[in-house]
Amino acid sequence: MSFVDSLMAGLSLVANFESFLALAGGVAIGVIGGAIPGMSATMAVALTLPFTFAMQPITGILLLLGVYKGGIFGGSIPAILIKTPGTPASSATILDGYPMAEKGEAGRALGMALWASCTADLISNLALIVFAGWLASFALSFGPPEFFTLILFSLTIIAGVSGESLLRGALSAILGLLLATVGLDLVYGTNRFTFGDPNMMGGLNFIAVLIGLFAIPEVLAMVWHPTAHLGKARSLGNNWVSFADYKKSFRSIVRGSLIGVFLGSIPGIGAAPSAFLSYSEARRKSKDKANFGKGEVEGVAASEAGNNGVAGATLIPLLALGVPGDVITAIIIGAFMIHGLQPGPMMFILNVDLIYGLFIGLIVSSVCLFFIGSVAIKGFKYVADIPKRLLIPGVLVLCIYGVFAVNNNIFDVGVMFAMGWVGYAMMRWRIPAAPFLIAFILGPLLEDNFRQAMLMSGSDWKILFRGPITWFFWSVTAITIFAIIRMGVNATREGRRAAKDAG
Amino acid sequence: MSERRLHLQLGVGACVASGLLIFLAIPQWVAAPSNIKNIILSPLFWPYVLAGCTGVAGLGLIASGLRMPVIAHDRPTDPEEGPGALGRLLGMALIMVMTMYLLPRLGMVWTSMLCFALTAFLVKTRHPKLAVVCAVVIPLALYAFFAHVAGVAIPQGHFVRLP
Repeated sequence: MSFVDSLMAGLSLVANFESFLALAGGVAIGVIGGAIPGMSATMAVALTLPFTFAMQPITGILLLLGVYKGGIFGGSIPAILIKTPGTPASSATILDGYPMAEKGEAGRALGMALWASCTADLISNLALIVFAGWLASFALSFGPPEFFTLILFSLTIIAGVSGESLLRGALSAILGLLLATVGLDLVYGTNRFTFGDPNMMGGLNFIAVLIGLFAIPEVLAMVWHPTAHLGKARSLGNNWVSFADYKKSFRSIVRGSLIGVFLGSIPGIGAAPSAFLSYSEARRKSKDKANFGKGEVEGVAASEAGNNGVAGATLIPLLALGVPGDVITAIIIGAFMIHGLQPGPMMFILNVDLIYGLFIGLIVSSVCLFFIGSVAIKGFKYVADIPKRLLIPGVLVLCIYGVFAVNNNIFDVGVMFAMGWVGYAMMRWRIPAAPFLIAFILGPLLEDNFRQAMLMSGSDWKILFRGPITWFFWSVTAITIFAIIRMGVNATREGRRAAKDAG
Repeated sequence: MSERRLHLQLGVGACVASGLLIFLAIPQWVAAPSNIKNIILSPLFWPYVLAGCTGVAGLGLIASGLRMPVIAHDRPTDPEEGPGALGRLLGMALIMVMTMYLLPRLGMVWTSMLCFALTAFLVKTRHPKLAVVCAVVIPLALYAFFAHVAGVAIPQGHFVRLP
């Protein structure tokens, strides 16, 4: 199939009212979800997932991608107006966004956030279109040993950078891998941790685990402390962003977008580090360094470009390799699976129409984001007024329906509740949940590829070092572990020095 | 909770979990054919490797915890405790157990209504009337979508059946 044929096939899939409605609806849901403090883009995507079961694959996936894109931008609205980031990715936006709001320039900050988000989103989507196909064609030569080392590298980096500590991240990933062993063995079909229950034989339902892990802990946190304080939303003010502001910040926006694309394409790093790195680079290169942190519009532009630049790029490893780059793409992989699709290099051959349909949809999503975001900025006060203590029971009921709908199985609701308590315990003990979920998804693939490699070689472990690709992944895994351990040791040393100085 | 105490608690927990897995859970709950020549291909291999890794991570957490400075104060990021928090958490656990028990008997719609109302009152909503209205409307709306649009067979229970 030529490029034009693929493009036409994709267009025939998405050129209908239903797809564009799903995309626009998704962006709107995402913006609202991201804008409600306590909700997040992750929760919004997880709660939207059950509604996609009845849709065509392309429509359902576009809806989720819309929620994802909208959610990342939506988080910046409360960050600027009430100093509460709607998503962790928007934490860097507070640095200059809130001081601007205090100066009566909230409208200008939000306008710049929207323009920067849309620009970065577009750049990120173009990067996805350019690189995903190339990476997928390269990955077609991967065999089980290569996939094993790739997944091992992905898990290492996800465990290392997801939380505050490599060891806690590693523990989280190991527990996720352990949970993935529940069910029938892949080779011999014998029971593993099924406790004699037929419901456990197929393994734990992925949707039940993810909703339990990311939505129920929020419910329990609300139960623990119901009077969570909300800041007072500031007015938008009379100033709006001008083209001169955009022109002044354009270099920072492009730089932030490219940082986002680079970091987003590495599994596990996510939007928050990208936003902070983009912000610090913009400050380092700016003529108005002194204004950063005091209400500089370029700071808002840089941080928003950094976090939105990740949104398209995280789909590169997802579509090309079948490896989710972050929690949200892990949920989106679930949507693919529900519709009988397996993301990875083969998808570019078997489902090329769907891939190009997604690419076209993603380009359109940047335009949708611009218009829906403009409306959302003005309508935020209505979102902020939603009583959280009614929202949370609503989320709980939505979770119950959504999880049941996957398999028509009440057992899955129980799994969700149990995982909710696990997620809450992880929250209390500050164990990052992202490595757990991604390891739970990648666990069967990791084990499967390992055992296939062993079967291929007659159990000779040297097959895991059979060529330049495996050596490359072993090297970057070792470098990653070394770098993270070194950072941890330095941090501990700093802490001891500080404690000695204090005492 | 200080970082040091957190690491020590998690480390000890991980080591205990590793021990339980290796000596109790895996031998008891992982079945393997007796004629496997190669341990690497056995269904037992992967769980044992992961249990070992859990132990190593636990030891690492203990070692890093011991290296950390002793700081008395708690981190400000610890979730603040509202009055009666533990009681409410227990109440939420009871609501979940009740939900699981009632789902096949009362049906999903009525159970969800109860679940919504009880949760709203548990978190002391300031809009009790609105909570009751939402408790009725939201489950019904979700039922309408899942049963009539998505074609999901929502459990109806033994008593009142919906169209």
